[in-house]
Amino acid sequence: MDDLLPKLLSFPQHPPPTTPLTDTQYDESIRAQITAVKSIPDSKLLTHTSSGESVLEFINPAINTVPYTFTLLATITALQKGSKNVKGDNLWGNMTGFLATFDPRQIRYLGSELSTIIETVVEFARRRGEPGAAVAPVSNALLRYDPTGGMLTSKHLVLVRVALSSRQLANALPTLDKPILYFPTPQKPSKSTLLCNMSNSPNVYITSDESGFSRKLKYWEVLEYFLYRGMIYMGTRNWKKSHQSLEDAFTFPTKDGVVSKIQIDAYKKWVLVGLLLEGKILGLPKVTGSGPAKAFHVIAKPYEAVAQIFESGTATRLKAEVDAGNGIWQNDCNMGLILHVLAAYQKNQIRNLASIYAKMSIQEVHTSTQSAETGARLPNVQATETLVRSMIVDGSLRATLSAPPNLVLSFSLVGQVLSEPQFQRELAASTTQIKALTDEIKHTDHMLTHEKEYIKWLQKQKKSGKNPVDLGVGMDMDWNGEDEDLMAGAY
Amino acid sequence: MAGSQNPPSSPTQSCSKKTLLVTEPPKFDLESYIQNYQGRTRLERLLHIGVCSTFLGVDALKLAVKEAKRGKDTKRYIQAQGHLQTIGPSEPEARRDQGWIEATDKKNQAETNRLQTELNGYKHNLIKESIRMGNEDLGKQYQAMGDLPKASEAFSRMRQDISVSKHIVDVSRHLIEVATEQRNWITVTSNVQKIRGILSSADEDKSIIPYLQAAEALACFDNGEYGTAANLFLGIDTGLGSTAATIISPNDVAIYGGLCALATMDRNELQKKVLENSSFRTYLELEPQIRRAIAFFVNSRYTACLSVLETYRADYLLDIYLQKHIEDLYHMVRSKSIVQYFIPFSCVTLDSMNQAFAAPGKTIDKELAMMIQNQELNARINTIDKLLEAVPSNPRTELQRGALQITDDYAREARRRIMHMNVSMGELEVKGKRGHNMGLSDDLFGETVGRELRSRGGGSAMLS
Repeated sequence: MDDLLPKLLSFPQHPPPTTPLTDTQYDESIRAQITAVKSIPDSKLLTHTSSGESVLEFINPAINTVPYTFTLLATITALQKGSKNVKGDNLWGNMTGFLATFDPRQIRYLGSELSTIIETVVEFARRRGEPGAAVAPVSNALLRYDPTGGMLTSKHLVLVRVALSSRQLANALPTLDKPILYFPTPQKPSKSTLLCNMSNSPNVYITSDESGFSRKLKYWEVLEYFLYRGMIYMGTRNWKKSHQSLEDAFTFPTKDGVVSKIQIDAYKKWVLVGLLLEGKILGLPKVTGSGPAKAFHVIAKPYEAVAQIFESGTATRLKAEVDAGNGIWQNDCNMGLILHVLAAYQKNQIRNLASIYAKMSIQEVHTSTQSAETGARLPNVQATETLVRSMIVDGSLRATLSAPPNLVLSFSLVGQVLSEPQFQRELAASTTQIKALTDEIKHTDHMLTHEKEYIKWLQKQKKSGKNPVDLGVGMDMDWNGEDEDLMAGAY
Repeated sequence: MAGSQNPPSSPTQSCSKKTLLVTEPPKFDLESYIQNYQGRTRLERLLHIGVCSTFLGVDALKLAVKEAKRGKDTKRYIQAQGHLQTIGPSEPEARRDQGWIEATDKKNQAETNRLQTELNGYKHNLIKESIRMGNEDLGKQYQAMGDLPKASEAFSRMRQDISVSKHIVDVSRHLIEVATEQRNWITVTSNVQKIRGILSSADEDKSIIPYLQAAEALACFDNGEYGTAANLFLGIDTGLGSTAATIISPNDVAIYGGLCALATMDRNELQKKVLENSSFRTYLELEPQIRRAIAFFVNSRYTACLSVLETYRADYLLDIYLQKHIEDLYHMVRSKSIVQYFIPFSCVTLDSMNQAFAAPGKTIDKELAMMIQNQELNARINTIDKLLEAVPSNPRTELQRGALQITDDYAREARRRIMHMNVSMGELEVKGKRGHNMGLSDDLFGETVGRELRSRGGGSAMLS
């Protein structure tokens, strides 16, 4: 084993060279090393050093990611084959340690290997009877692999499924918070683009070819991801993000006006979540196709009816409507959401009072609102007081309650006021956000103009002698700098 | 005519279900009121007053019976006489003049037949002018008999034989009159446009302009487009006089126009477009109370304005057109008054609001809450200190919130579009049934969903 070590540790150089390698040199060396390590048989990788340490204990995955990956894979294969010589006690620790520390540059050459390790982690956790344990390591690994988080991979799907089934929701959030922009393509990157170029966007190194990190996704998997992501946000009571994620699902482009059942499910949930978020039925986003929109309105009619009553009907009617549709909610697995909607009704009523009254007594709040859970007023004024207090505490009602005995509820007339520095920060944040977006837009633009079919079309145009018209790509993507300058200049 | 022999046994009762009874004495004098009108609208108006007013009912119906007997419309006579029989059986006019009915019916029949035969004769001889006049006579006969659809048909037939532009005016005027009685406002407006199209600048043509304007304004008004109607009424040239007496009187122009303006315009507009409008002033002078109400409103004396309107409510309820709209119009004026009253204050006690606007012993809390909810009034009620408080506006916060909201929305939308572009590049769109390697059997627009959609779609289509 000892003789192998220099070979394993040949890259990256230690100590680092004074002039860092160029991307081309880096590419050559790492490819050479991968070939070299791959040529070593598994059995050799598993032998111990003279001091009795295994390779996994000896190598630091943060620095020598390549040999560590292959040794880890060799260990896994050996264990799966039931080999007696290999000790698997620390395998979990090794794998999670690796996922938390691998070098984000080297790992780009090891897509399918990383994919195997992630799958093993999930499988391992499931066998041990605690599938939730895999959520945090996988989520972190995905972000470490693709810090932009904009590429949806088959591992994202694994992540949401595990997170939902094990109810380990919070740990998955950092990955889910990233908006999805790209999907893996089977195209191999052209020779000229180097994987190690850190400014490359994820669709250069995350591909769905045989050595890639991800499978090629089907549309229903994408929809499933959005739906599950929405459900995970529901679980964490983040109605806003849930709403947006469900919206992503049902506004997903469709061909010839067909609708996926997943989209319909997403729409049903979206209606209910909209009630919890805004207290009213929200119009469909403009991008919704007309075919799907029609289908939604027809199939999700019971949901829209509930929303309508929630917005403008009485508690008794809402309760009756919900009771009447019991079978529907249960079949659609939306009973939990419906119960939330019922509970939210009175809170929404109280919030609506704030748009009419400036001050009123708790007694008046009590008599003018009803609980949709029972279809009647709360049993006593104290119950109303408790409800109002809880709403003030959790920030859903901007009001103050005076001290007893004469409890007076004063609604705050102005909404949240941002202080000047706060506002500056928020503005700066959105500016960076939009600047980052501009890059993504340029990138997509680039990809589109280099699409095979587009190029073919251009050639055709040229042949037929017409001037190729710049169709602009879909929408006016030119975010001209002037707008930003104006904003920057104002502050 | 079998139906007309058996009038409903208690016409007033069946009517009162739909029309409300006005018990207060109106301010106008019936004789002089009806003097303003000519033609069939007199009978219609008298009947309306007779049915609705407890105070003028008998007098109006007596006049109506007399009026009806002068004409040829036996159905209207039976109607008027029937009502009178119910509320004033002792009046001499309440007895049914069966002889007159039969004689008139017979005469009508003979006259119609005669006109029809004459017309056929003209048609046979192909004399255009005579055919036109034959149709006109027939139309007039039907109109007088109260057979409006046939009248309208006959008048329309005149159009085929028009030779000079004056004839177009004649046709359209006939049609406007019939359509007004039928409340067929689309025909009214289209015929107004037809006449407008051919008007020359000759003086004799000018005299018809106020008539056209009034007809158009009335059509708009009865359709509930008060804002447009206000502008149309205000734009009527002087000199309407009795040219439109078969439809509307100058007094009506003042009332309808004034109320519509009051309901839809703000104080500056009222001052400029109504009070300082010289042509409309001639009309307003006929109805000084409307002028007073508008002046009160302009001078911010809302309580006075509303009380003027209130005293004339009974009058307006007895008008055939206003009755349907008066509640809406008054409500609009009232809401506007409350909003205007509140504008200069940052906070007003509810007591003073009650004093200004509520009926004695009642409160307007509910109405205020309603108005705030409908976003007509930008204020909040304070039930503890009994105050109505204005909402302090904070443009700075609003701007901040708006700016952040816009960037957020933009970013989201842009991301969504990038994603969608990548979807179409990767050909990931949701596709129809053709694909066969489905991982999830129920995913596609499968049988169950499809059937559900079809059946429910059919149901909803039938409902709508």
